[in-house]
Amino acid sequence: MGSSEIAGAVVRRWLALALEVITAHEEELGRLDAAAGDGDHGATMVRGLRAANVAVEKTSDGAGRLLIEAGAAFSDAGGASGALIGALLSSVGRALGEGPYDAATVTKALQAGLSMVMRLGKAQPGDKTLIDALKPFVDALAAQPADQSLMAAWRAALPAAQAGAAATREMVARRGRSAKLGERSLGHPDPGATSLVYLLQAMEAALTEECA
Amino acid sequence: MTKLYNDPTDFREELIEGFVAAYGRFVRRVPGASGVMALGAPWPGKVALVIGGGSGHYPAFCGYVGPGLAAAAVMGNVFAAPSAEQIYRVTKAVASDAGVLYCYGNYSGDVLNFDMAELRCQEEGIDVRTVRVTDDVASAPRGQEDERRGIAGDFFVFKIAGAAAARGDSLDEVERLARKANARTRSFGVAFGGCTLPGQSAPLFTVEPGRMELGLGVHGEPGVQSSHMRSAREIADLLLDALLAEAPSDAGATVAVLLNGLGATQYEEMFVLYKDVHRRLLAEGLSPYKPIVNEMVTSLDMAGCSLTLCWLDAELTPLLDAPCASPAYINC
Repeated sequence: MGSSEIAGAVVRRWLALALEVITAHEEELGRLDAAAGDGDHGATMVRGLRAANVAVEKTSDGAGRLLIEAGAAFSDAGGASGALIGALLSSVGRALGEGPYDAATVTKALQAGLSMVMRLGKAQPGDKTLIDALKPFVDALAAQPADQSLMAAWRAALPAAQAGAAATREMVARRGRSAKLGERSLGHPDPGATSLVYLLQAMEAALTEECA
Repeated sequence: MTKLYNDPTDFREELIEGFVAAYGRFVRRVPGASGVMALGAPWPGKVALVIGGGSGHYPAFCGYVGPGLAAAAVMGNVFAAPSAEQIYRVTKAVASDAGVLYCYGNYSGDVLNFDMAELRCQEEGIDVRTVRVTDDVASAPRGQEDERRGIAGDFFVFKIAGAAAARGDSLDEVERLARKANARTRSFGVAFGGCTLPGQSAPLFTVEPGRMELGLGVHGEPGVQSSHMRSAREIADLLLDALLAEAPSDAGATVAVLLNGLGATQYEEMFVLYKDVHRRLLAEGLSPYKPIVNEMVTSLDMAGCSLTLCWLDAELTPLLDAPCASPAYINC
């Protein structure tokens, strides 16, 4: 994605697709959360994405600004996921700024977002949180050859996120609400890591549509 | 099953509207925010106690707003913490020159959002402190008391902090007393059936017939252990064994007692249970102080109950006894 207009269009499309896929999995995410937590994860993600979609309708700014607006709206969904995903979007948006929207800049922006989420949530890899999907993805994105397109790099990095989310099944929660139940969380993938993979997949679809 | 709703996504909004319509003699809506404030608030010169959390726990949290209790409650969606933005707006509406105390159950979503709001208020020069309620002995082992979640013990900590604030105590003092109340409050619960979010067709968890869950959370989190169903007398012993093993080191003989229903457990059943709780407390040489058998912190339509003990002393007892008037708790 080259120009600012195209990048803005991709962000809008991504938010629309993300809402679609998360809505389709709302009950599944709620059940995963209920295995050791309070069961609101699916509903909170849907609420956040709805608000984010409304927020970007109102503005014609570039991708960075749109993500900042989307993040602020998402935060108001409440819960831990509202605060964390909202902060992730906003900090990626701030780091992205006016572009360029190439793989290197996007990777740097996602690295900024990752450290923001880790600082806010005080979670480390292996704590059974969304970090266990986000960090492998960002690391894999950074490891792609420099001359790759953003879409190619994104697609190549996705399996790392999926593997990271799947690995949370074998983890015992140490942070987040499910931490209170320790061993009970074993055997279920983390809902936050699972929904993050859906968000990343929606972005792959948005980037693919843009190229087609 | 939650049966009464229109559009499930409007559940919080509609419950706030109905709550304010019903209890307008105590509270009003905070303009432009998901929360309610006491009719006379802000109270000049007095610390503002701001409580809050997800909805689905009535009377927690909005039921405890009024003179002698909280100045305001921030209301999240069902089982979801309120956002930092909403907490900030509610704080601004009730903050006085004496400062603000945040008091809420210890859950990661609440901690994240209240901490963000606290930071923002402090940047604007509002002195905000935080005391998190951590009464649930089932949620983390001894030595990790700070990690425990807050359940029905919320009530005693709110009541004591609210009374200290109403008395005109300084922010340092209100914070110290709230911390002390929390350190001397312990809860343990049992569940017999799960709860269902508005608009959903299946409960968040189920309890097999003939079984019960020990150490459940107020969000329908399954318990830490499953057991076969016991008699009321055996359950009374099981609850008290868990709590007495956790008595604070400087515990005296007087305990405030709350036998709390979770939403779908019948009052008379709870009295049957309380009879055995009371007898056992006396046998242990403890003296139950103004026991409460009621629904004080619920979990939608969950079946079950929890027992909370708050070890009192000469400092805490008058605060528990102090007058207050809120939609869900009046002490005059």
